[in-house]
Amino acid sequence: MNYNRPELLDRLASEYVLGTLRGRARRRFEQLLRQLPAAQAAVRAWEERLGPLAVAVPPVAPPARVWAAIESRTAPAARRAPARAAWWKPLLGFALGSVLTIGLVQLMPGSFMSLDGLAQKEQALPQSYVGLLVDKEGQPTLLISSTRHGTRVTVKSLRPVAVPPGKVLQVWALPREGAPFPLGIATPTKPPGSTHFDMSGTSEKLLANVPRLAVSIEDGPAQPGATPGEFILTGHCVKLW
Amino acid sequence: MADSAPLQQDLARVALGDRAAFERVYHSTSAHLFGVALRILGRRDAAEDVLQEAFVSVWHHAGSYQAASSQPMTWLISIVRNKALDVVRSAAVRHETSMPESKDGEELELADERPGALALLMAGAEALAIRGCLEALDASHRQSLALAYYHGMSHSEVAAHLQAPLGSVKAWVRRGLERLKKCLETTGQANLTGR
Repeated sequence: MNYNRPELLDRLASEYVLGTLRGRARRRFEQLLRQLPAAQAAVRAWEERLGPLAVAVPPVAPPARVWAAIESRTAPAARRAPARAAWWKPLLGFALGSVLTIGLVQLMPGSFMSLDGLAQKEQALPQSYVGLLVDKEGQPTLLISSTRHGTRVTVKSLRPVAVPPGKVLQVWALPREGAPFPLGIATPTKPPGSTHFDMSGTSEKLLANVPRLAVSIEDGPAQPGATPGEFILTGHCVKLW
Repeated sequence: MADSAPLQQDLARVALGDRAAFERVYHSTSAHLFGVALRILGRRDAAEDVLQEAFVSVWHHAGSYQAASSQPMTWLISIVRNKALDVVRSAAVRHETSMPESKDGEELELADERPGALALLMAGAEALAIRGCLEALDASHRQSLALAYYHGMSHSEVAAHLQAPLGSVKAWVRRGLERLKKCLETTGQANLTGR
């Protein structure tokens, strides 16, 4: 079957979401979904079209044992041996003051939160913007964070990034609307080290409407209004408070 | 749909391992999602399992939720529906001709509820203001879509239910979806879930 035909892809996506694509055809399509962004986009569009119809289904309260089972299956103890794809979750969890598995302690200096010099109450999370940037293979590579009202950005290296001599690693903010704008230059270091750069304003001012961050390799620091080169790392920018 | 911003924010926190946010997501959405699973599966025990699997998956994959391209509730509904459809698919009992009423275990009164699928479709449509688009469909198209969507019926199950030839049902579903899409596109209602 030629999946490059958009109308065929759209038809398969529609029956996949409706639920009438069954058996081997469904499995083949699921496999395709993992590889083909166009298929993912088609499915998302159909989910948006049909999903709202589920609103009409009367809610039925599930018994308490369901939540109990979910809780026990997702409790920190159950995450001691996390799935490979999610190995960084406990790492971030630590950054946010929650539980960390022993093996990862060495990877994660405790200085992560205090670097901004903000005295935080124990257990309290500083209000922060955090972005986990992944490379093209989806490997978490840089963890970028800054406190809500701070201008200093912490760049934690999770994997080595090769920067050619004479080039710089430019961090970009990708706002919800409008063109990407440069945030600053990241200096990658040997993992798991951290470096910093300062932004022209506070995170709150610059990042409040920025759902994604990205990194490109440039000849020198980008000026506002410049067009970014190819993004080698991208990730969501999340508010934490 | 209610304001999705808090849910969106909670999902972002779940991605970072925030258990309190995870619990909030569960408590604000589980009754709705359980209702959706129950419709498709027709059995409480199976629906409970699906809800459990869905939320374990949400915990592990919240990071893959893309706020920019989909509504949080739509994303959750899709996870639950896909898990429920997996179960429906693998359950031999349900295969081809037999209906969920004939299954063992706790049962819903689906025989009474099934005609309600069409009413649900229109109620859902009301919420969406796409009533016009659904009303423009032939009754057979509309009915086929409702049975497939709300009860997770396959083409053959819809055919058995409507006592219609399989080939006709396949065509009804396909044309129904095509026309719905076209209509939504022309009326500009496709993205009206809150953005």
